[in-house]
Amino acid sequence: MSEFVVASDLAIEYRTPRGAVRALDGADLRVAAGASMGLVGESGSGKTTLGMAMGRLLPSNARRVAGSLSVGSQSLFDLDDDGVASLRRRQLGFVFQNPMSALNPTARIGKQIGWALERKANQREIHERLQQVGLRDVPRVAHAYPHELSGGMAQRVVIAMAIARRPRLLVADEPTASLDASVRGQILELIKSLQREIGATLILLSHELSMVARTCDVVGVMYGGRVVEAGPASIVFNAPLHPYTQALLKAAPGAERPGERLTAIPGMPPVLIAASVGCSFAARCHLADETCRRTRPEVRHLPDRQVACHHIEAASPRGGAGALDPS
Amino acid sequence: MPILGFIGARIGVALFTMFVVSLIVFIAMHLLPGGFEQIILGPIQTQATRDAITNEFGLDAPIAEQFVKWAIAVLHGDFGVSMITRTPVAAELVRRAPATLQLAAMSIFTTLVVGLPLGIASGIGDTRRSVRVGARLLGALGASTPDFVLGTILVYVFSVWALGLTVGGYAPFLENPIANLRAMALPTLTLSVPGIALVLRTTRESVLNVMTSGHITTAVSRGESPSQIVRRHILRNASLPILTVTTMYLGALMGGSVIVETLFTIPGIGLYTWNALNNRDYQVTESAVLIFSILLVAVNMCVDIAYALLDPRIQGRRS
Amino acid sequence: MDAGRNSILSQCSKAMRADPLMAIAAGVLALLLCVGVLGPLLPIGDPTAIGIGPRLAPPSPAFPLGSDELGRSFLPRVVGGILVTFQVAATAVLLTGALGAVIGLIAAYYRGRVDTIVARLADALFAFPAIILGLMTASILGPGDLSVIVVIVAATLPLFIRVVRSVALSIASREFVTAAEVAGASPVRIMAMHMLPNLMGALIIQFTYALSLGMLIESGLSFLGLGTQPPYPSLGSLLQLGATYLAIAPWLVFAPGVTLALTILAINLLGDGLRHAIDPLPGRALK
Repeated sequence: MSEFVVASDLAIEYRTPRGAVRALDGADLRVAAGASMGLVGESGSGKTTLGMAMGRLLPSNARRVAGSLSVGSQSLFDLDDDGVASLRRRQLGFVFQNPMSALNPTARIGKQIGWALERKANQREIHERLQQVGLRDVPRVAHAYPHELSGGMAQRVVIAMAIARRPRLLVADEPTASLDASVRGQILELIKSLQREIGATLILLSHELSMVARTCDVVGVMYGGRVVEAGPASIVFNAPLHPYTQALLKAAPGAERPGERLTAIPGMPPVLIAASVGCSFAARCHLADETCRRTRPEVRHLPDRQVACHHIEAASPRGGAGALDPS
Repeated sequence: MPILGFIGARIGVALFTMFVVSLIVFIAMHLLPGGFEQIILGPIQTQATRDAITNEFGLDAPIAEQFVKWAIAVLHGDFGVSMITRTPVAAELVRRAPATLQLAAMSIFTTLVVGLPLGIASGIGDTRRSVRVGARLLGALGASTPDFVLGTILVYVFSVWALGLTVGGYAPFLENPIANLRAMALPTLTLSVPGIALVLRTTRESVLNVMTSGHITTAVSRGESPSQIVRRHILRNASLPILTVTTMYLGALMGGSVIVETLFTIPGIGLYTWNALNNRDYQVTESAVLIFSILLVAVNMCVDIAYALLDPRIQGRRS
Repeated sequence: MDAGRNSILSQCSKAMRADPLMAIAAGVLALLLCVGVLGPLLPIGDPTAIGIGPRLAPPSPAFPLGSDELGRSFLPRVVGGILVTFQVAATAVLLTGALGAVIGLIAAYYRGRVDTIVARLADALFAFPAIILGLMTASILGPGDLSVIVVIVAATLPLFIRVVRSVALSIASREFVTAAEVAGASPVRIMAMHMLPNLMGALIIQFTYALSLGMLIESGLSFLGLGTQPPYPSLGSLLQLGATYLAIAPWLVFAPGVTLALTILAINLLGDGLRHAIDPLPGRALK
């Protein structure tokens, strides 16, 4: 199976007045075409940076300091501005967290769909697009301004705009974070079904394990700017190898037995100002030793997944109790 | 359409404001110490003359009646008679209006034509620190130099090195376009500089604000070209603060016209007003103040309406 | 409340270290003020002493800024001018600040119709250009400092009201105010103890802008002859006098003009810097 997205030892820094902050510290990722991958991690893990980097949508103070990223066999950081714009237009679609700020407040919805289609679209086609994302009373929606819609409806519009030109890659950054709990499931379902319909590759960024487990076939766990474990969701969630993944699963609500306590992970995620010496999880890992603190773990490509840890043999998969049912 | 109701409401508010403003102007000029009556009647000793003047100006009638008479006269275009020259004020105002209007139009034009593109460009572009600091300094300097300081300096500079521009020597445009432009260039420059500084700064900040908002990111993620982004997203969304600032500038223009016309000897309404004030010609001063105020209210109303047209979120709210 | 005051001060000094332009502006301003305040004590001459030197003499060691049409040394007049302009503007702005804060707080606290009326009035007042106001005021009260102060107050009051109102409105809806109300605190107490300290930052920034506006207005009105009357020098009236001798004695115009522009520039830069420090622009644009 061909790989559509390949990140290889990608490192990206942000220059701030107080010095550089390393958002990605050697991230490796391979996503097959047509797959649905969920990138999980706490805030600061680098998942947003990685997701945005796939469209080179990084702020002006971001610098790639190492590694490479290619989408559909085009190396992102080697493209010129026109090349990137062309890539975005033809192959990428993005869904962001807050639909209200993603839509232009002074233009009607129908007009914005027209922008997304990049050509003179007639009313019928615009209405079709809106119907495709499950909106009802389509003529009224097309004529409305963004502030007249609910959050859920607005997000559907954003999704419609993102898939308007049948992109090959769809990146959704916490698409349900600002929505009511009642509509979250629907939006996720919508994204999933549309992805299948147009045959795109989906990358879903989230800090919620349950959401990723429900929606995605493949999962990547990020910590400290690296992908510490990645593989098919059923395998990773049922038999996690990386201590961080295991800890995440134990700390996630959902499958605990009554009376059992959730185990929080002690400590705080790191803010890197340079390439990390050793493993960035060492400070919070119960298996950490001198090797972990001194040497960066290489990414190991096992038959069923990739892992970045010195101690995968020692860490026995403690699947059971925290496993989430990815059905 | 709700927009019509909105416009109607705005016009109503504006008319009401104009009424209130004219009331205030009238009361200020007539009732408070040092006003109309004292100045005219004060130095007059004989009772007979006082009576005559009181009759002529109708000063013995109750204030309300005076106001109504005055208001009606104004609505008919009768602004009274200048106490110094004994000529109708209205006629004089009309005669002098073109010069002031031309000055205002040229200044606004220059300000927007120079300030807007510069502001947009500097808001969008990725500039080096030295350029940014330099622009900031120049902008602050332009905004901090009072127009009479700049005007005076310009008068000095151009009286030493003429460069083909004149101080004074105004001729109506239709009679002698060259002389007209030569005389109007410096006053326009004087009035435009603070305007450009203000517009540039506001535009830049407004554009920067829009640039960092989410829908620009979305537009970029769709691969829109920079010109598309400017056209579709930035212009409309950034225009509101620019409108506010233009209104402020128009207000400053009115005051500035008095100063600049005086400095550069342009025979407009501003110079007329200043002469009148120096000569204690109250009829003229009062009329000029009234005209300026009414104009301002009208402009504000237009801006309010423009706001609503540009930002649909405002239409929804009750004004 | 002590913590509030400390943080404002520390914020200011942090801002100064990060933004050298602003620090320079603050320094220049402080220098000008010192010179102005200490003016009478400095050995630069008497601003009102007529005829001690040749008329309209260019700058020389004896007369550092030359002499004016009445033979007065120009340097002390300019120095006096800064002081007068600044004094008038500062007095007016302080008055306005207090007044504006009170009105704004009342409007924000009581909300509803009171608030709408206040907002509308403030907008209407703000629309009036200062010179026009000045014309009206001068013809009623006669020219002079009082007239100028009234105009400055009228012109800058809306600024303060607006700022105080918007900050106070956002605070008023927060829980600790509701808690105080429930506990039975009187409106005055709530306004003074809870709303006011949070406003300090915004107030100070508005203060600098209002001050620069006030100086502009004062000098503009003085230039027209409506402000400070002779023999007291004001930068504006000095300019007006100097303008008549422009061709033969340009220093009479340049000195007060440049001083005025620099002072206002310094104040504006200071205000800008403070604003960026306390309320920086959100987010970052993409490449």
